Amino acid sequence: MPAVQETIDRVRKIDVDQYKYGFQTEIEMDKAPKGLSEDIIRFISAKKDEPDWMLEWRLGAYRRWLTLEEPTWARVHFPKIDFQDIYYYAAPKSTPGPKSLSEVDPELLKVYEKLGIPLKEQEILAGVQKPTAADGEEIGDNVYKSGRVAVDAVFDSVSVVTTFKEELAKAGVIFCSISEAIREHPELVQKYLGSVVPTSDNFYATLNSAVFTDGSFVFVPKGVRCPMELSTYFRINEKNTGQFERTLIIAEEGAYVSYLEGCTAPQRDENQLHAAVVELVALDDAEIKYSTVQNWYPGDAEGKGGIYNFVTKRGDCRGDRSKISWTQVETGSAITWKYPSCILRGDDSSGEFYSIAVSNGYQQVDSGTKMIHLGKNTSSRIISKGIAAGFSQNTYRGQVSAHRKATNARNFTNCDSLLIGDQCGAHTVPYMEAKNATAKFEHEATTSKISEDQKFYVMQRGIPEEEAIALIVNGFVKDVIQQLPMEFAVEAQKLIGISLEGSVG
Amino acid sequence: MNMHAQPQRTLAETALIDAFGERLSQLPGDGAVMVKRDDAIEAIKHGLPTRRVESWHYTDLRRLLTSVPAFEAGAVVKALAPVLEGSAVLPVLNGISQTKLPEIEGVTVQRLSEKLTDGSVAPGLDPYGDDDAIGALNTAFVADGYFVDIADGTELEKPIELQNLQAGGQSHVRLLARVGAGAKAIVVERQAGERDEALVSSVSQLVVGDGAQVTWLIVQEQPETATHLAQFKAHIGKDAKLTLFVMNAGGRLVRQEVVVRTTGEGADFKLRGINLLAGDTHTDTTMVLDHAVPHTTSTEVIRNVVTGKARGVFQGRINVHQYAQKTNAKMACNTLLLSDDGEFSTKPELEIFADDVVCGHGATVTEIDHNHLFYLMARGIDEKSARGLLVKAFVAEVIEELEDEALVEALEERLDGWFSTHG
Repeated sequence: MPAVQETIDRVRKIDVDQYKYGFQTEIEMDKAPKGLSEDIIRFISAKKDEPDWMLEWRLGAYRRWLTLEEPTWARVHFPKIDFQDIYYYAAPKSTPGPKSLSEVDPELLKVYEKLGIPLKEQEILAGVQKPTAADGEEIGDNVYKSGRVAVDAVFDSVSVVTTFKEELAKAGVIFCSISEAIREHPELVQKYLGSVVPTSDNFYATLNSAVFTDGSFVFVPKGVRCPMELSTYFRINEKNTGQFERTLIIAEEGAYVSYLEGCTAPQRDENQLHAAVVELVALDDAEIKYSTVQNWYPGDAEGKGGIYNFVTKRGDCRGDRSKISWTQVETGSAITWKYPSCILRGDDSSGEFYSIAVSNGYQQVDSGTKMIHLGKNTSSRIISKGIAAGFSQNTYRGQVSAHRKATNARNFTNCDSLLIGDQCGAHTVPYMEAKNATAKFEHEATTSKISEDQKFYVMQRGIPEEEAIALIVNGFVKDVIQQLPMEFAVEAQKLIGISLEGSVG
Repeated sequence: MNMHAQPQRTLAETALIDAFGERLSQLPGDGAVMVKRDDAIEAIKHGLPTRRVESWHYTDLRRLLTSVPAFEAGAVVKALAPVLEGSAVLPVLNGISQTKLPEIEGVTVQRLSEKLTDGSVAPGLDPYGDDDAIGALNTAFVADGYFVDIADGTELEKPIELQNLQAGGQSHVRLLARVGAGAKAIVVERQAGERDEALVSSVSQLVVGDGAQVTWLIVQEQPETATHLAQFKAHIGKDAKLTLFVMNAGGRLVRQEVVVRTTGEGADFKLRGINLLAGDTHTDTTMVLDHAVPHTTSTEVIRNVVTGKARGVFQGRINVHQYAQKTNAKMACNTLLLSDDGEFSTKPELEIFADDVVCGHGATVTEIDHNHLFYLMARGIDEKSARGLLVKAFVAEVIEELEDEALVEALEERLDGWFSTHG
């Protein structure tokens, strides 16, 4: 069939040009020596001016990590990581603690400008123009171009700047880097850090606990509805560094917050490790909405280079009637290995997981979620859409469990996979564990390719083939796109287009 | 590979290894068979699978197999009346096949011990993977069973019933069958025993020839004192059809593996399973289905009823190989959880490497639908009877699909038998 042949040819032609955030910036960096040891951890802790308890916490995690073995159960394959061949700390050299944007290294600002991340508050407030790069080059439409969004920008190991802090403070919301939170709000950090993902959780989370360098901290006090979208933008720039960020979001009783996360990295031949930990805590009646557009460098057409994205994300619905919702659009990374989860501890709490995972080239995705029903009348919903093209492997792996006391637990899971091309694989591995007779779990999964009938229907109306496929794919992922905040939805749709470009024919 | 020292052997592991040393001289087999046995016991020496082995995640055999009974040579057990009236019965009693066997036209039956002695079955004794603990256990100890060969074009008038019956102790049996091209057969595999501690391993291997049609029924009614580790492996040829029906209604620790591969275009596989779980028992049904060639189809429907403190597991993996285009595969696993102490875990998996396929699976776990219950009770049926009706209807649906009236009746009778003692 010529159309199939064409597809294969186009997939083969997929070029690194597709990744438009692959540039690297020369910025003077402050780095710790390569490798991992207690000294490096002390170094990181000292750099961050951390209290003793924090250092002890890190060292405890490190000692634990030494006893752990790397897990191998996921359906991903990669050469063994040499953990001594990574820089665990890399930060742009700048005046100590820039007080305002004007003190930040202009090169650094250019990076964000180039990425289209608005770090200047007025510009956004005015909402007049799209930021343009200093060299006159038009910036591609980006995730962060519109609206009032407070941004925490994390560059390699440190948070460079956080916008709208003052305005948020007026509402009582704390939004800052986790390093700052450790210094300024130790009581909150101590209370919640590691309470969702303990230092002993898993190999990569334990490593993260020992060496995490920065990340975002959000605290929304009782009864406050966060007045704007919060977001963090992660950028890996330096060579051979690992990025280990830690994010902690706490919504007190009745609070609401919506948080967005985005990320990019330069194109390089070697693989880089990104092992983050995200912890969410929702108390009574609180709601946290966490959205991710993951666009790390996926490697080139031969599968060389790219980010290893091994992340532990977990939300704890600690309070009654609390709600945590994860939405993710995964298009980047050489390997994605993560399961944003919800622990439904509070009675009547609910968890949601909406995911689109697009893989192309030689990307490997093993992602999904866990919904752990502990409280009474808890409910969860999982909608996962996997699209595999090229030579990629795309796995959904998810667990739904109801414990003895989780009366009336409800789950609905739907995971659909779409295969484009005959060299890729799509896999579905759901685990359902019911220990309560009143639990009601439903799971359905399908795998198919775009049907000729669907395509014919659209093309017959005068729409060219490539557009027809894009239309069908967008229809396929619609359920998830609808869950994204406005700022993200349009861009996510475009991202999916970019990732699949050249793979549909 | 494993840097850690082996953990200390469990009592069961030690008992198995010791038993092998004692039994070895009595086990039939030529050189090739003995080499397979040695390899198999080596695998067991590395330890029984734990929950860290993915395919045994929900059935931690190392922890669950707490003791291993001795071989009891003296125990007496008698062949049972067949499930389907008029069947030709081939009994294996306490792990030993019989010499006096019924004549069936177009069918050659051989004792497996003979085929072990002459080594002709040696190639089939290999386990199918690193995690194939049942295959290894059986290969190490298998002493007897049958080889049933149904000649090309034979249409069996009466079903064949293979009975594997034990009266305590250990028995390790293998049942081999080849159904020739264009042949038609109904085979019942009966697994039962008396109330005594027992360890049974039973491996069935079936080759369905091109264009053949086979209905294979596994009726497992072991006592609550038995550990029953079973495996059913089949290859389905071109345009051949295999319907496998599995009914688990007994046993203390049960694992029934189903390993099926379509080897010819147009092959069709149907799995229908009923797990009736009661008491303090553990029952695992694990299926691995390989769609290895283009244009093959499969459907799997599993219904589970969980009562008492029973724990149930269903794992079903459908692999669609890269060149197996036009595969159509559907799997459903539905569970009724009827008691607070019952548990059911299910893992339906799809592994798909071909793009032009239609595959799907669905799984549900629920209690009895209150609307249905209300509907019946509003019509004057008391709650207990209404519940009974609904539960029975839930599983009977799968049986009724078998279409053959005699089969449906016979299986519904087994079902009634179970409900009368466990309802």
